[in-house]
Amino acid sequence: MVSQPTTISRAAEIVRISRIFDFLLLVPILLVIIGTYHLSMILTVGDWDFWLDWKDRQWWPIVTPLMGITFPAAIQYGLWKHLRLPIGATVCTVCLLLGMAITRWFAYHLWTNYPINLVLPATLIPGALLLDFVLLTSRSFFVTAILGGMLFGAVFYPANWAIFAPFHQPVEYNSSLMTLADVSGYSYIRPGVPEYLRIIERGVLRTYDTYATPLSAFCAAVLAVPLYGLWSYIGKLFSTTRFIDKF
Amino acid sequence: MSTQASEIKANLSANPNQYWYLRDGYKYGLALLAVCAMYVGIRLYQGAYAMDTGLDSTMPIFDVYWRRLFYIEITLEVIFAIAVASYLWLTRDKQMQNLSTREEITRYFTFIMWGGVYGMAVYWAGSYFGEQDNAWHQAAVRDTPFTPNHIVVFYLGFPLYTILGMGLWLYARTRLPLYVDKISVPLTLAVVGPFMLLPSVGYNEWGHTFWFREELFASPVHYGFVISVWFALALEGTILQIIARMSVLLDKFALENQ
Amino acid sequence: MNILTKRIIKFGIFALLLFSPELFAHGERALEPFIRMRTIQWYDIQWSKNTVDVNQEIVLSGRFHVAEDWPNAVVKPDSAFLNLAIPTPVLVRTATYINGAIVNNSMALKLGGDYDFKLVLKGRVPGRYHIHPMMNLRDIGVIVGPGMWIDVQGAAADFKNPVTTLAGETVDLETYGTANGIMWHLVWLAIAAIWLLWWIRRPLFIPRHKQTLAGDEDALITSLDRKVGGFGIIGTLMLITASFVQADQKYPESIPLQTGRTEIEPLPMKHDVVVKTKRATYRVVQRSLQLTMEVTNKSDKPVELGELNSATLRFFNPTLQRFDSNYPKELAVEKGLDVQPNSPIAPGTTTTLTINATDVAWHNQKLASITKDTDSNFGAMLFFYDNAGERYLASITAPVIPDFGTN
Repeated sequence: MVSQPTTISRAAEIVRISRIFDFLLLVPILLVIIGTYHLSMILTVGDWDFWLDWKDRQWWPIVTPLMGITFPAAIQYGLWKHLRLPIGATVCTVCLLLGMAITRWFAYHLWTNYPINLVLPATLIPGALLLDFVLLTSRSFFVTAILGGMLFGAVFYPANWAIFAPFHQPVEYNSSLMTLADVSGYSYIRPGVPEYLRIIERGVLRTYDTYATPLSAFCAAVLAVPLYGLWSYIGKLFSTTRFIDKF
Repeated sequence: MSTQASEIKANLSANPNQYWYLRDGYKYGLALLAVCAMYVGIRLYQGAYAMDTGLDSTMPIFDVYWRRLFYIEITLEVIFAIAVASYLWLTRDKQMQNLSTREEITRYFTFIMWGGVYGMAVYWAGSYFGEQDNAWHQAAVRDTPFTPNHIVVFYLGFPLYTILGMGLWLYARTRLPLYVDKISVPLTLAVVGPFMLLPSVGYNEWGHTFWFREELFASPVHYGFVISVWFALALEGTILQIIARMSVLLDKFALENQ
Repeated sequence: MNILTKRIIKFGIFALLLFSPELFAHGERALEPFIRMRTIQWYDIQWSKNTVDVNQEIVLSGRFHVAEDWPNAVVKPDSAFLNLAIPTPVLVRTATYINGAIVNNSMALKLGGDYDFKLVLKGRVPGRYHIHPMMNLRDIGVIVGPGMWIDVQGAAADFKNPVTTLAGETVDLETYGTANGIMWHLVWLAIAAIWLLWWIRRPLFIPRHKQTLAGDEDALITSLDRKVGGFGIIGTLMLITASFVQADQKYPESIPLQTGRTEIEPLPMKHDVVVKTKRATYRVVQRSLQLTMEVTNKSDKPVELGELNSATLRFFNPTLQRFDSNYPKELAVEKGLDVQPNSPIAPGTTTTLTINATDVAWHNQKLASITKDTDSNFGAMLFFYDNAGERYLASITAPVIPDFGTN
C-alpha cells in the first residue's frame, strides 16, 4: 500500500508534463505561423489587403482567398491527420489577423500617420471556420476540398462586405464620382502607391451584365478547390518525419 | 480551481524540484523578453530618428544613424553566430548512450523553448518588420537597399532567426539522441528554407533596381521570399517527430522506478 | 568614450544638421542623372505660404515640361500620377488641377508638352516638413521636384476630413467606418476563440497523437463535437448572410471603386526661340558644363538667356537679375551662368552662344555623374526673356563629353 501513492503521483505527473508540453509547444507553433503566413500573405496579396481603395470586385476577392488558403490547408492536414484536431484553418487565420492588426496599428497608424480605416485588414476567419467545420463533420479531405474549399473562396467577399460596404458609398468629389474609399486613398498621400499602381476592376463585364461580384466569388470558390488539394498535399509532404543518414 | 492552485503551491514548496523538466524556464523567459525588448527598442529608435535622419541615404547624417546601425548589427550577428555554434558544439553530449529519460525529457522541453525564441524572432522579422516595410515606403522614396526599415528587417531580422534556426538544428544534433547520427528531413527543411530569405534579399533589390521601380508588394521580385517562407511548414514534420519521441519517453518514464 | 569625445560627436552631428547643404532632400538624387534631366522638368514651383494651420489650406503650384528627348532606357509616360514626396500624410490632398482641369487619377503625358499644376492641400499633423512635388511614372519610379520646408501648426487632434456622400451624409474620413470594421473583426475573432478553446481545453498533442497512431482516432471526436461542427456550418453561413444583407440594406447605393483616367492636353506654348546644341562639355575639375549652341529668335523682340534649369538645379545669368531668392538655396546658383556673347539676340536672327554653367552643385546634386552613365545625353530647359519681361522656353539635349582635366 505504500507504493500506491507514488504510482498515482507519477501518473499525475505525466499528465501534467503532457499538458505543460501542450502549452509550451503552442508558443513556437503560433509565433511561426504568424511570422510566416503573414509574410507569405503580404508578398502575394500585399496592397490588396493593405489599402481600402484596392478592395475591388474583381481581383481582391479572388487573390485574397486563393493565397489565403495556402497555410490553412497545409496546417489543417497535419493537425487533422496526426492529431485529429479540426482547428488548423482557424488557427492560421486568427494568427494572420493578429499579426496584421499589430502592424496596421503600430506601423501604419502610429509611425506613418495613416488613419486606421484606410488600412483595415480583411478577415479570412469566417471561411476558415467553415473549412474546419466541414472537415470535422465530413472527416474527409476530399469533401473538405470540394465543399470547404468552395465555401472558403465563396464567402470571402460577402463576409467582408459588412466591414467594407460603408466605404463604397458614392461621393461627388471635385465634380467627379468617387467612392469614400477612393477619396480616402486620394487624400491620404502615399508616395509609394501612385494611383496607376492599383490593379483593380480590369476588363469588361458585358457578358455577365454587372454581376462582377458574384462572378468573382464563384471564380474564387472554383479555384479554391484544386488549391486546397494542392496545399493539403504540400502539408502532407512537409509533415514527413523522415530521417536520412547524410545530406 | 483554488484548491488545485493551493495544492500545487503546497506541492511546490514541499518539492521545489517537481518541475524539473522546466530547468531552462527562466532562461527561456529572459530570452523571449530580450528579443522583444530589442525589437521594441529598435522600433522606438525608428520612431525617434527615421523621419529626421533616414529619408535620404546620401545625407551624412544617414551614415551616423543608420549605416552605423547596420555595421553594428552585422558585427554582433557574426559574433553571435560563432558564439552559438561553438557553444553548442563544444558542450555537446559525448555520452549520449547513458542519457536518462528525465534528462532527455528536459532536453526536449529546452528544445521547444529554443523553438519559442526562434518563433519570436520569426514573428518580428516576418510579420511586424516585414509589413512595416510597406508603411516606411510611404514616407521615403526608395534610394538605397539600406533604408531604416530594411536595415532592421533584412539585415537584423532575417539573420537573427537564421542563426537561431541554426542553433535549433545544432541543439538537436548535439543533445538529442534521435538527431545525433541521423539528419531530420523536416527540421533541416524548416531551418534551411527560411534561411533562403537572405539570398532573396539580393534578388529583390536587383529587381527593384532594374525591373520594378514601384513598391507593389505582390510583385514577382518578392516571390523568392514567398517560396522560402513556405518551407517553414516543415515545422509540422518536426513537431510530429518531437511529439512521437515525447510520447515514447513518457511511456518509459511511467514504467521507470523512481 | 569620455564626456569630451561624446560632446564633440554630438556637436558634430548638430553642426552637420545646421550646415550640410545636402540635408534637405528626399532620396531623389539616387536616380540616374539622365533620367532626372530628361523626363519631367519642373519649373515655377511655388507654395502659397510656408506655414499652415491644421485644417487650413495651402496650395502648391507650378509647371513641368515633359522632355522631348525621353530616355530610351525607360518606358514612355503612359501612366503618370502627380504626387508629393512627403514624410507620410502630414498634409492631406483635397484637389489636383492640371491645366485647370480636375485630375483625381493617373494620366498619360505627351512628350514635349508643358503642364500647369495646382495641388490643394490641408494641414493635418503639426511639425516641420520638407516636401517636394513628385511625379510617379509607371515602371520608371519617381521624378522629384524642388523641396521646401513647410510648417504645420496647431493640434493634430483638431484635424477633420469631412466628406459628404451623395446620400447627403457628412462623414469624417479620419474615423469613418473604423469602429464598425473593428467590431466585425472582434465578432469573428470571438467566435474563432471559442472554437479554438473548445479544443485546446482538452489534452492536445501527446495523447491525441498516440491514439491516432493506435488507429483509434475516431474516438477523439465526440458526437457533441460533430454536432457543434454541423451547427457551426449553419451558424457561420447564417451570420455571413445576415451581415451581408444588413450591410447591403444599409448601403443600397454602393458603387465599385472608380478607376477612370483623365485625358489632359498640354498647354498651348509658343516656341519662338529655337535652340540647336552643337557641343556640350563637362569639365570635371572645374565642375562646369560648357554648351555651344545656335539660337534662332523667331519672335518680334530681342531676347536674352536668363537661366539654365537642369533637373531642378538652376543657374542664373547675373546680368538679367532674375534670381529667385525663394528657391531652395542648394538648388539655385545666383551667378552661375556665364553667357558669351552676353547681348540680346535680335528678332529674326541666329546667333551662336557659348555658355558655362559652373558650380559645385553639379557634384552635390549627383548630376556630375552623367559622364559615367550609360546614356550621357544631358537635358535642361533654357529660359530666354525679352525686354518686356516675356519668357521663352526651350528644352535642350546634347551628348555630354567629359573633360577629366588629364591633358
